[in-house]
Amino acid sequence: MMRFRKAAPRALIVAAGLVILVLTIGSNLLFGGMTSTVERNQIELMRSIIAFNIEGAGVNALARAEMTASDPLVRELLARGDRPGLLAHTLPMFLEQRDKYGVDQVQFHLAPATSFLRLQAPERHGDDLSRFRPIVVAVNRERTARRGVAIAATGPAVFGVAPVRDPAGNHVGSVEFGLDFGALLDRLKAAYGLELTLFIDEEPLRNFARGIRPGVISEQNRVGTTMRLHSTNWTLMQDLVNGDDLRIHDETRDWVRDSGGTSYGVVLYPLLSGSGETLGAIAVARSFESTRGAAGRSTVLQALFALLGFVALAGVILIVVRGYLVRPLAAITQRFATVGAGERPEPDEDDRFLSEEMAALADEHRRIADLVEGRKKR
Amino acid sequence: MSRLLALLLLLIAAVPAAAQTAATPPQTPAVAPQAATPTVQEARALTALPLDSGLPVIVRAGLGFVNVEAIDENEEAFTATVDLRLQWTDLRLRYPAEETPVGYREWRGPAVDAQLAAMWHPQIGIANMRGEPTRQSRSLRLYPDGRVEMLRRVSGAFAAPMDVQRFPFDRQFLAVELVSERETANQVLLDYRQDDLAFSRADAAIAIPGWNLGAVTLARDPLPGWYGESYARLRVALEIDRSALQTVPGLFVPLLASLLIPLLGTWLNELRDGEFEIEAFEFTNILIGGLFAVIALSFTVYSERSILASGINTISMLFALNFAALALAIVINVALVHFSAVRAVAGRHVQHETFLFILWALPVAVAAIAAALILVAAA
Repeated sequence: MMRFRKAAPRALIVAAGLVILVLTIGSNLLFGGMTSTVERNQIELMRSIIAFNIEGAGVNALARAEMTASDPLVRELLARGDRPGLLAHTLPMFLEQRDKYGVDQVQFHLAPATSFLRLQAPERHGDDLSRFRPIVVAVNRERTARRGVAIAATGPAVFGVAPVRDPAGNHVGSVEFGLDFGALLDRLKAAYGLELTLFIDEEPLRNFARGIRPGVISEQNRVGTTMRLHSTNWTLMQDLVNGDDLRIHDETRDWVRDSGGTSYGVVLYPLLSGSGETLGAIAVARSFESTRGAAGRSTVLQALFALLGFVALAGVILIVVRGYLVRPLAAITQRFATVGAGERPEPDEDDRFLSEEMAALADEHRRIADLVEGRKKR
Repeated sequence: MSRLLALLLLLIAAVPAAAQTAATPPQTPAVAPQAATPTVQEARALTALPLDSGLPVIVRAGLGFVNVEAIDENEEAFTATVDLRLQWTDLRLRYPAEETPVGYREWRGPAVDAQLAAMWHPQIGIANMRGEPTRQSRSLRLYPDGRVEMLRRVSGAFAAPMDVQRFPFDRQFLAVELVSERETANQVLLDYRQDDLAFSRADAAIAIPGWNLGAVTLARDPLPGWYGESYARLRVALEIDRSALQTVPGLFVPLLASLLIPLLGTWLNELRDGEFEIEAFEFTNILIGGLFAVIALSFTVYSERSILASGINTISMLFALNFAALALAIVINVALVHFSAVRAVAGRHVQHETFLFILWALPVAVAAIAAALILVAAA
């Protein structure tokens, strides 16, 4: 047989508990969704930052290339094929640009795509670039300035290539400026607190970057099918990006991963050449400690408030059901048990707190007891 | 006669000498200033801000932690030895590479001061250094292309504001703040590149008891100056994570144990048909004793770790929970047991059930809040 004393509060407490649980889960999902939205926005911001800055670097490189291409002396020297003269005229500019603005490659080409002078490596010239520098071929074919990411003989960079005309206005070749990825990534770290790593596919790097500094293509820099060329914090980034992640990097991807107990949002931004070939990727990471911490704290506090709410509701149910109903009912039942037994219980002063229904029952006990006692006396 | 002859001879000899002397003085001042003036100008020029590469002059900075001797949390400071490396280019200092077979000119010790006095160098101070360095040494290298590298090893105490809100799961930053003290950010900019990041690391042998070492981070944070100007500032910080487990025996065990006192003050009483068996006076004695115990514990903890006394953190919140639980237990004993407040309002049956509810609800609530405080800090 069901005992009301236990069954009724249990049913009410379970119902209250379920309601609280559902509400807590709902609010937690809601807050989790807000956290995800914030993190999604952060990831989108990271992607925008890297895209905008690579685009900006391309524009900067192109602006420099176009200014140099319009220099009358440069036009004359290139048209004349005066390599020493061109070197003497442009080298000081290059050194300053390199030191201050991360311009690490400046190259003059003769149409259609023959290297005429590399300011970063003046001894290397005369090679044909048509096989691996489509942007140079395109500029010399279309005689229109272009920009984009490419792997040159001395390594990858963001290039701007502008056509050069001789003093008479005839197309003679082109000039390119390449902005170093390393300086770009370092500046992004300084400005935004991001951690960044540049990965370049090993195959094009081996094929095209014949003059890259020694030690770059090495086992210790190999990550999957790529080479790590630059990192603002490799100790951290190696926990966040591995070879498997880099297996597919022809489209933007993102994930969240832990390192040293802290969650980081990671964006893998592909580097595509002007012709759409994948050259590598830049991994960008940012700590999500604040959002994850807030989400964790929120979960704990929601659970605490739910528990305290449950305890309070359970208390109210128990006190009301047992204190106002079950316990007085038991007391009155005991009084009924004494009817006819010859002993009359003492009047209970707490009867004044009985509910109307309970008071009626207590009165009924008194009436019956009086009746029984009266009959006995008669 | 012989005297006259001697005088005549002297005069003859003196006239060309006098003529020479008379001719020389105009030459001497004329030559000397001509020779000295460019030297002074050159010297002045060399000590002036280098403008050949435009402004601002980029000073690349890196800072390595050689040793961290101690961390004083209460003083919010740490004692350490750091290597500061500054690099900049001054094209006026270029020289033929053949002059230095090793590839650079180098000065060490007192010779550095003499060399620095003769050339421009950025006045980069350590803004958060407390007092004077206990030890300091410098070296200077000048490369043929005008690149200057200055290394400075400094030992001393550094201020390190600490945020202990998440104690004992907190992460602190032992920062060294480099500030351009003389030139504004328009003239001198502190920056860093890959090799500066590689230089900026903590020595692998550094071990700080109670802390786990993290990475060294660099962040530019300009210091506001007058008239809307700013000064270049670079914070180089070593991240350290507190080893939370080490704080358990000394702090958390007594703090959590003291939470049992208010619970005992309610658990030990008994009810018989809505009537309390033991007088409130006896339990209030226990609770007042507990109050003094918690006060003594807080005094001990805050004396040892005064930083925890300022602001809100896990420890201060746990102490607050202790005091709140004690206060609640006293209120329960006085109101419920002594004055039978619930009985006076709702009768003994409700009082009975209320007390039974308190017996399990109070420990559950206190334990849940204590756990939540710790988990919130850990999150």
